[in-house]
Amino acid sequence: MDAVLRQVEQLPALLAVSRSAQVRHWDCLTLDRALEWARYFQHLHHRFRARPQLREALGRRLRRSQPLPVLGFPALGRCPQLLGLALLENRALPPAACRCLLRSLLQPPAGGSGRDPGGLPLLARRKAAACLLASGPGPQGQLQAEARLLLGRLREEGQGAEAQLLREEGQETAGQPRWLRGALEQLPQPRACGVVAAALALLAQGCDTEQTGDADRAASSSQGGYQAGAAGDGCAAGFLLSWLLGNQERFSAFCLCLPSSQLAFLAGHYSQLSRSYLDLLTSWGSRLVYDPLQGRWVKSCLDKAELSWEELRERFICLCQGPALLREQTQAALELLRTRDGDFKVRGLSVWTDLLMEVGY
Amino acid sequence: MAQDPTVPKLNFEYWLDKAVEWGQATTLESQKDVCLHLPQLQEFLHQLYEAIKHLQGPTVVIQQFPLIGQLLGRLCWNPFVIGYDESQETLMWCLCCLYSSEPQNAVELKANSWVRSLLCHLLSSSKWESNEAETSAFISALGYTSADYYCHLVKNMVVSLVRELRENQFSGLNIQESISASRVNAISIVCVPLITLPDLAPLLETLLLYHGGSSKEILSSEFLESVNEAFLKKKISLPESVIFSLWLRHLPSLEKATLHLLDQLFSIQLNSLEEVACVIKDSLLPQAASHPAIFRIVNEIFKNALVETGGTSEVLTIIQVFTQLFLQERQNENKQHKFPLKAYFPYHHQPLVRGLVRRPFELPTTYWSQHVKRISDMLKALVEDTNASSLTDLFEIWFLVACFGEWLDIAAEQLVKAAVEPDPVLWLLAFYYCPKNENQQRAQTVVEAQEVYSHLMMLFNCADLSLKDLEAAVHRVTGTEQCCNQQFTTHLLTNFLLFSPGGHKIAQECIYHITEITDTSKEVHNLLIRTAYRFNHSGEENQRTVKLLNELLQKLMLKV
Repeated sequence: MDAVLRQVEQLPALLAVSRSAQVRHWDCLTLDRALEWARYFQHLHHRFRARPQLREALGRRLRRSQPLPVLGFPALGRCPQLLGLALLENRALPPAACRCLLRSLLQPPAGGSGRDPGGLPLLARRKAAACLLASGPGPQGQLQAEARLLLGRLREEGQGAEAQLLREEGQETAGQPRWLRGALEQLPQPRACGVVAAALALLAQGCDTEQTGDADRAASSSQGGYQAGAAGDGCAAGFLLSWLLGNQERFSAFCLCLPSSQLAFLAGHYSQLSRSYLDLLTSWGSRLVYDPLQGRWVKSCLDKAELSWEELRERFICLCQGPALLREQTQAALELLRTRDGDFKVRGLSVWTDLLMEVGY
Repeated sequence: MAQDPTVPKLNFEYWLDKAVEWGQATTLESQKDVCLHLPQLQEFLHQLYEAIKHLQGPTVVIQQFPLIGQLLGRLCWNPFVIGYDESQETLMWCLCCLYSSEPQNAVELKANSWVRSLLCHLLSSSKWESNEAETSAFISALGYTSADYYCHLVKNMVVSLVRELRENQFSGLNIQESISASRVNAISIVCVPLITLPDLAPLLETLLLYHGGSSKEILSSEFLESVNEAFLKKKISLPESVIFSLWLRHLPSLEKATLHLLDQLFSIQLNSLEEVACVIKDSLLPQAASHPAIFRIVNEIFKNALVETGGTSEVLTIIQVFTQLFLQERQNENKQHKFPLKAYFPYHHQPLVRGLVRRPFELPTTYWSQHVKRISDMLKALVEDTNASSLTDLFEIWFLVACFGEWLDIAAEQLVKAAVEPDPVLWLLAFYYCPKNENQQRAQTVVEAQEVYSHLMMLFNCADLSLKDLEAAVHRVTGTEQCCNQQFTTHLLTNFLLFSPGGHKIAQECIYHITEITDTSKEVHNLLIRTAYRFNHSGEENQRTVKLLNELLQKLMLKV
């Protein structure tokens, strides 16, 4: 087993090389050997798939090796594809090796048998399908797909973390995997916010059970039982919230770029989030000033990334349309603020009085 | 350069013109035109690959087919082509043939770089749409590949389209929120190349069950035809209700399915009706026929097939098995959802219909002859009513009786097996075998049949028969030109051989004799497999008869 662990430790290096300029020196032989390794890792995956302890040991070894890309046990099963596609995209690969690569990835098998139905043709077909079906509204499908992949990873991490009881080093503050920030930083901020929101929404709806990041999950959850899956979900939500709430600037950007209905939905499901959201709305609201000439609340500082009266009002209305608990929490917060402002019940004196009137109190 | 004569001429100009015309297939017209040509294009790509796979290096390929680069390059940017069936695979094989491991000149260097960009375009999560560069970095940071990403993306898109369509369906008449008919139509068109992609199944189902507000068909005919085609070729499987919905809304598909079934049945050798029943059931048509509209159309197509083939006994047997299976399905159905019989046979005398649809096993055997007599009496009254006996009416009545041929076989069997009043039974069979009754021919047929019958019944209990004893009956078969009388007598004679104690011994010899002289072997074979089928289902107590039947069938099988 030690030998296997040491071999698996080489996988990140192999993938890193396949993405680097070092492949410039590869010939057909090197390439075949690399693909051979990939197939060997795939074989290990098939062999240890049904053995939770070994899975865990291999997964831990892979996770501790490097920050990005995040690799776990399922990566072993996907190894030929990870390696093949990385090499295909790497322009440094010389023609002779590339020809070998194409042959092994694409060429029809000589006997006409053994066609891999899940191979690259299926990928090309799905990509075309995505393009054909995308005629509809918005990038929602893309965000959701990205969110599902992210969740797959986080669950894996959650299950691993459970096993380790968060003992080991490598966990960033408050139980957030160290790779999460790095991965999300690959996306522009509004997009990252969208992906995280979509992932939290999927967890809240609990509708992510049939489609997860890895095919192996079906196997792992049937062994670990339903509860492990639910615990994995809990961990995943925890990770995402700690990323989101761990940085005030990030959270405020999140709340600025997402629509109020979506924020209210998330606030209704995650109490941590609803508290911070209300605090943030409070701080934005307290910076509005009443313009007696226009007869309305305006921003005190125009260019700051904050909400206008109309936007603030919409957000509170959405919160009050949420579940009972959220509505009560929101009203209680507004009433407390109004009392602090002197408990006037006339418009134009306290922004909280006016907001309470707008939401119907 | 001279073309290799073994290579079929590949029509590059035609497909290049098409590819240019289509562009990236963004307009409705170009989309429809692409869909129409996808199977042919796939065939072309396949031939192209066969033609270039053994050529030595890209330079030779390009010399032989100078337009290849332009064509393949354009096709790679057409998502309809890439999405279709196995086209993307063949296309990528062709691209590989243009890649050289040791590029010798500028053209080959350029070709290499071009092939790699196209493959990246087809396979990696960047470029097709500009914002996917970030996606690519994100998913690879998570340790995933574009294969994982597109798998999820397509599933999500399918789920959200399904949701959109369902919500719209249920929100009903709310015009403002409803998706426009043109959008649903557009979705159905983009699905055409993707029909065999398993991820799409939920969307196909939802579309096929979707009806817009108006009575006009909302889905594109290209889509409906392609789904039907894929189903008939067994490339996809869909729930029965979805297939029924397809056939109910798209008549050409139902016609095609019925003709496909007939073709299938003609192409196999009918060894037993169990096989026939299996193929028919597999087509889902008897199940679908629970919808009266479907039943009537399928029945109409069968009727035409019967007329076109001149009423051959194979087609009749197929129709009879189909009708039996249809009745079986109807019986299994929930009472509440049952349509009345009149919905299936609206223009027929309902008491006659009710009599015919009774399955023999629903009645005790002792009632069979009584039931046959009732059918015969009703039929006679109908046919001899001079008001209703135009040739068309007569044919319609005859076809109805023919569909339920099981009762005719039972009638003929009752003649030799039970103590029955023979005249009504003989009349019934005479009507079946010669419905036209020109110059009172039927009466003549009945008289002749009576003679044959009484002759056979005299011999019924003779233990020691020879072929010579049957000469009179055999002569009626071999010595007549009138095919209806010939078939009728053959039917009586065969039953005599099967069911009389003395007939067994000479059965082989007698049937051999008849089928040698006349070309009735198909009829006899059909009669025997029908009898065997009935025995297998309702049981025949006389083991000698069963054994003889199997022997006769085996002999005939070699002859047919």
